[in-house]
Amino acid sequence: MSAQRQASSASQTPHISPAELSYLWSSLALPNNPIRPDGRSPTQFRPLSAETDILPGTNGSARVGFADGTQAIVGVKAEVEKTVAAADVSSLSQRAQEQFGENQDGEGKSSATTTGHGSWVQMSIEIPGYRDDDALPVFLSEMMREPLVESVSSGGNADGEMAGGLKGRLVINRRWHWRLYIDVLLLSQPLSYPLPLLSLTTHLALLSTKLPKLKSLGEEDPFFDDDWDAAEYLYPRSQSRLASALQLRPPVTLLVISVGENVIFDPSRDEIAVADTLLAISVARDGGSDALKVLSIRTVDPPSRLTQPGMPNAENPASLESAAVAEQAVNGEEIPGVWRPRRGGVKRNTVAKMVKLVLQKGGVGEEVLEGLEGVEVG
Amino acid sequence: MKSLRRDVSADPHAANVTSKVFVRSTKSGKVQKIVRELYLRQDIPCSSKLCSTCPYLAPTDANGNIAPFVLSDQPAGTSDFPRGHYLVPDTNALLNGMDLFEHTGAFYDVIILQTVLEELRNQSLPLYNRLLSLIKTDEKRFYLFFNEFRLETHVRRAQDESINDRNDRAVRAVATWYSEHLRATIRKGKKEKSIPAIVVITDDKDSLRKAKDEGVTALSLPEYVASLDDSDRLLDMINESREAREAKGARGELFYPEYYTMSKLQTGLRAGTLHQGVFNVSPYNYLEGSVNVAAFDKPLLILGRENSNRSIAGDAVVIEVLPKDQWKSPSTKIVEEETVTKNDNPDAGDTEAVVTERERRALQEEVKQAHGRNSEGKPQPTAKVVGVMKRNWRQYVGHVDSGSTGQAASGRRQQTVFVLPMDKRVPKIRVRTRQASELLGQRILVTIDAWDRDSRYPTGHFIRSLGELETKGAETEALLLEYDVQYKPFPKVVLDCLPAEGHDWKVPASKDDIGWKGRRDLRDLLICSIDPPGCQDIDDALHARPLPNGNFEVGVHIADVSHFVKPNNAMDLEASVRGTTVYLVDKRIDMLPHLLGTDLCSLKPYVERYAFSVLWEMTPNAEVVSSSFTKSVIRSREAFSYEKAQKRIDDASQKDELTESMRTLLRFSKILRQKRMDAGALNLASPEVRIEADNDEVGDPLTDVKTKSMLATNSLVEEFMLHANITVASKIYDTFSQTALLRRHATPPPQNFEDLTNQLSKKRNMRLDVSSSGALADSLDKFVDPENPFFNTLVRILATRCMTSAEYFSAGAHAEPEFRHYGLASPIYTHFTSPIRRYADLLVHRQLASAIGYEGENGRAQVEGVMTRNRLEDICRNINYRHRNAQFAGRASIEYYVGQALKARGEKMSSDGGDGGIEEDGYVMRVFENGVVVFVPRFGIEGVVRLEDFVLPGDSTLRSVEERRELIVRRESDFDNEEYTIHVSDKGQTDKNRGMTVELFQRVKVNVSSVKEESGRGAGKRRVRILVLGGAK
Repeated sequence: MSAQRQASSASQTPHISPAELSYLWSSLALPNNPIRPDGRSPTQFRPLSAETDILPGTNGSARVGFADGTQAIVGVKAEVEKTVAAADVSSLSQRAQEQFGENQDGEGKSSATTTGHGSWVQMSIEIPGYRDDDALPVFLSEMMREPLVESVSSGGNADGEMAGGLKGRLVINRRWHWRLYIDVLLLSQPLSYPLPLLSLTTHLALLSTKLPKLKSLGEEDPFFDDDWDAAEYLYPRSQSRLASALQLRPPVTLLVISVGENVIFDPSRDEIAVADTLLAISVARDGGSDALKVLSIRTVDPPSRLTQPGMPNAENPASLESAAVAEQAVNGEEIPGVWRPRRGGVKRNTVAKMVKLVLQKGGVGEEVLEGLEGVEVG
Repeated sequence: MKSLRRDVSADPHAANVTSKVFVRSTKSGKVQKIVRELYLRQDIPCSSKLCSTCPYLAPTDANGNIAPFVLSDQPAGTSDFPRGHYLVPDTNALLNGMDLFEHTGAFYDVIILQTVLEELRNQSLPLYNRLLSLIKTDEKRFYLFFNEFRLETHVRRAQDESINDRNDRAVRAVATWYSEHLRATIRKGKKEKSIPAIVVITDDKDSLRKAKDEGVTALSLPEYVASLDDSDRLLDMINESREAREAKGARGELFYPEYYTMSKLQTGLRAGTLHQGVFNVSPYNYLEGSVNVAAFDKPLLILGRENSNRSIAGDAVVIEVLPKDQWKSPSTKIVEEETVTKNDNPDAGDTEAVVTERERRALQEEVKQAHGRNSEGKPQPTAKVVGVMKRNWRQYVGHVDSGSTGQAASGRRQQTVFVLPMDKRVPKIRVRTRQASELLGQRILVTIDAWDRDSRYPTGHFIRSLGELETKGAETEALLLEYDVQYKPFPKVVLDCLPAEGHDWKVPASKDDIGWKGRRDLRDLLICSIDPPGCQDIDDALHARPLPNGNFEVGVHIADVSHFVKPNNAMDLEASVRGTTVYLVDKRIDMLPHLLGTDLCSLKPYVERYAFSVLWEMTPNAEVVSSSFTKSVIRSREAFSYEKAQKRIDDASQKDELTESMRTLLRFSKILRQKRMDAGALNLASPEVRIEADNDEVGDPLTDVKTKSMLATNSLVEEFMLHANITVASKIYDTFSQTALLRRHATPPPQNFEDLTNQLSKKRNMRLDVSSSGALADSLDKFVDPENPFFNTLVRILATRCMTSAEYFSAGAHAEPEFRHYGLASPIYTHFTSPIRRYADLLVHRQLASAIGYEGENGRAQVEGVMTRNRLEDICRNINYRHRNAQFAGRASIEYYVGQALKARGEKMSSDGGDGGIEEDGYVMRVFENGVVVFVPRFGIEGVVRLEDFVLPGDSTLRSVEERRELIVRRESDFDNEEYTIHVSDKGQTDKNRGMTVELFQRVKVNVSSVKEESGRGAGKRRVRILVLGGAK
């Protein structure tokens, strides 16, 4: 059981023979022009279906289905919570009270009030067949939560509402904040590595998330408009396209593999099985400029390491020239057409190439974010 | 990357299901998005008697009956709508014109939308309740149409549409649907012509325009009313504030500071820097208010208009303590609104210091310290109103201030007048009317609509006229309205609950009859009743007889009202709302219908009646050996008045058993009373007079006014009733430890007596010991002034005013030590002995019946006594309120009668050429800087005496009100706050003998008369004038 779990921490290794693995690898590794089993170009994504606001009881929700049949639902709930000051509680509350008494203009003080806390965002991932304390859900949720809360706008010119990123947005005033509960539910078996699916769904759900409109001012106890239609988006939207490019958006995490010299996006399960390296790259639109920004890169143990090596003809007892080739095999050299599990790290320039492909103007990252933005919200 | 969105429009059921989404903020601070699914249906009837299809479609109840249809098939019309019309008002129309909709002359066949009802509830709870009761009554034909649940009339909110616009659209959608529906389904044989018009009533200009575009008939409320008969009077009943506000716009001066936002109030209340309480106004100074808040022992003062910031007596307000330099001592001046002109309006505290929160906190501490100190004369903490949690505005009785009407009484022009409410604590109300000239000299009913920052006085509108000022009918109705007494005749549903036999009802002759079940036959006992003369509703009867063992059996028999009034029927509900019978001088407003109160329940002599009996076995020393309770049948031998009973007892020649038993009762009652006094019961006093209205035209009208006399027989009955109440209270508390209905009189906090204690020690060098009721009783007994026999009673009256009032409560609401009845010095108490006139007693009867296992005719009596605590607490709140109001109404009635008697006397005397007053003894109750309050025991009235009403030596007594008024500029006073004395003299007059000095508790000679103000602001109002003629030694 535990062996199977280990394996699936990356994905369930497809049962492909070494010969097939070798064939697949060599087609994907064709210099400059890889041939993918489904005929896609290296940067092409599979079609997906997506919808938002599917759960009326939540503040925001989304469903995304990939073409391979995997589906995920994400629901976002927001709750008002009292901020417990970590340091000197009494002095802080005193200060807050004084401010409440004196004036509500808040100008010049906003910088002090807009620091949020990462723990205000809570994420739980449910994957069929896993307990919630299994490695995969825990690892996945942290991998998605971290870029979410740490993506802080660098420029000071971001619109006031999103100053301080998501964390800042959750601050109501000195004594109150929102707490977000992001519940991710994978509906299907984790056929391929589920990170991109979950990340896209979470991204969409957050885009559609609304918070009730605040009616109270300054340091008063929060008091909200009871009209849901007046609620405001967690990630503010703007009508003009130009401005929207500048707005902060939740990050997406993309899965990228390298096979030989090639970099391939949105890999299918079979493709992952032969990948040399498997990287999860989180990108987000920086509020300050219209450029994208890499938030994190994580390496994922590619399942190809666990595959059985193929047996060269030389070693095959059924083959006649066994002795001669056996020597070669011992030396660990590549024999074309014979599968060998991948070993070793990632080359610097491969990573550089991946990042470039993601970040460049009109690159993969932008395409994905635009596509997601295109999903009608509301 | 492509994305697809599921198409829901293909779902055939999608049209039937929709949802309502809103944000709910819970008390605990959670904010939730709430989604309610709505399943739309098509069987909600239109409820028009014209419709031929709805009766077959409408949902049925368990018996297969549908709710009767409401809207008439021949609705009334106007000149514009000759075929009749159904009205569809929107929320604003109801907000502005609820009084119109309640009017009986117009507004029939009204369709109230669920949307409108819900919106109304959010805006104004009282109006919502009024509308609900309108819908419940049949005669006005109001139909509540659940438009949100009907498929055709449900309206989905469009993108970017405001809720108001959406609701307006819903109203129009209903109107459209109704017209189409009626056209399609009208009964055969009826001509097309007879379809009534559907008229939307809305004051929203935008909605009116849209209605026109959509072909819906829509009118504004004034437009519609203008087409009715009697439109001038009806137009006055429209709430003016809204329109006026629009018209005024950003005009002019803002007199009052803005209220804090709700969230700021909440934050402040939670943090303890703001406080919530009920706003009270001093009866002597309309500019001085006080608010009792939970955080402090004593009420906080609110001085001046600006600080009271548009609150009216009774409002639940939020206040903020003012900085210490603005603290003031309570005013020692009498200030009446009518006499204060605008210019010398003592608006206090206009400089607003900026204080930090920390200072605010410190201030709360200062308040506590200041309250803790002995406070006479020192500045008291003051506060200002910063928000209103709940308005407690009601309808006010008043009269038009003649000074405020314009000279041009030229017909029908609308003008603004001031209405002076009868209740002095309520500011004058600005009312716009077209009938000012007619309303002059009338008692009228008005209501307050709003009080904006830019208006010095609240604005309101006229509701109806009660009749000429000073006519008996108008004044009585005014009284009843002012004290919220339910005086309408009992509706038919209530009368239907009475026994069918009517006055012929009798106790069943056969003991096998079900009515005898569980009843003891006490017909052999020599029972009699003792009541005030002319009493018809006899609640109680008594007996005493010797037992073979030398002890005595004493019985108290109470009318068995709970036999006739079954829980939760219409009669019971009516009684629980009325709460008590109200006694006015010339009128009694019954809690129960006449038939029960004065006949079937009343323990009349010589006839058999059902009773609830409390029986004690007592030793000759009135020690209770045992007590028992039973339902019974009795036959009273005689109904005595107090005097007759006294005479019979005193008559030594009477040796019969009945007289003997009365003598036993009297002897026991004296022992019981002594025991009670020893335990520390108080002998309280209230200024009571009795009016014996025998309509004697010839004699002096004032002879009807009598102070109450106490005979030994009064206290005979009283003692046994108290004893029965206490016995019953312990019994029901044993059985119902949470829900027993009890009565308590809370121990008053010592600081309540502070002022009185100071005054007594200063003026008489006497010490008032308030440590316990016993100590208080003892010290009260010592306050005897041989020169001034009334002094003791006066102090008792003042001491009574320092106490809290007794209240009903359910046993679970307080801890057992708190059950104490302070005045009676009894650890537990309830009311059991007057079920005909008090609802509390009726409930106690049910509880006692249940406690002793009485089953009743249907075996349900056991259950009838059981009640949930919540329900009981609701009832307690209501009967406490009714009880208090009944007392006030009774007193006001006596006051009015005294005034009328004085007036009648004055008229008689003046025709004889004498002066219009009567000389009496009066006692000074309070001393102010510019006047005193004098109590006249002969008439049980107290009145304010201002400087000009002091008749100084050398001053002629006979002066009209106007002449006296002119005196005020010449008068000056020298007021000593520490010594409670006031010296009144003419200005510039140094001769001590030409002035007059009056001190607290002093007996003075006064001249009492009834005068009418002829000019000035209070013109047309009659009041009792008291002139101080000089000290009486």
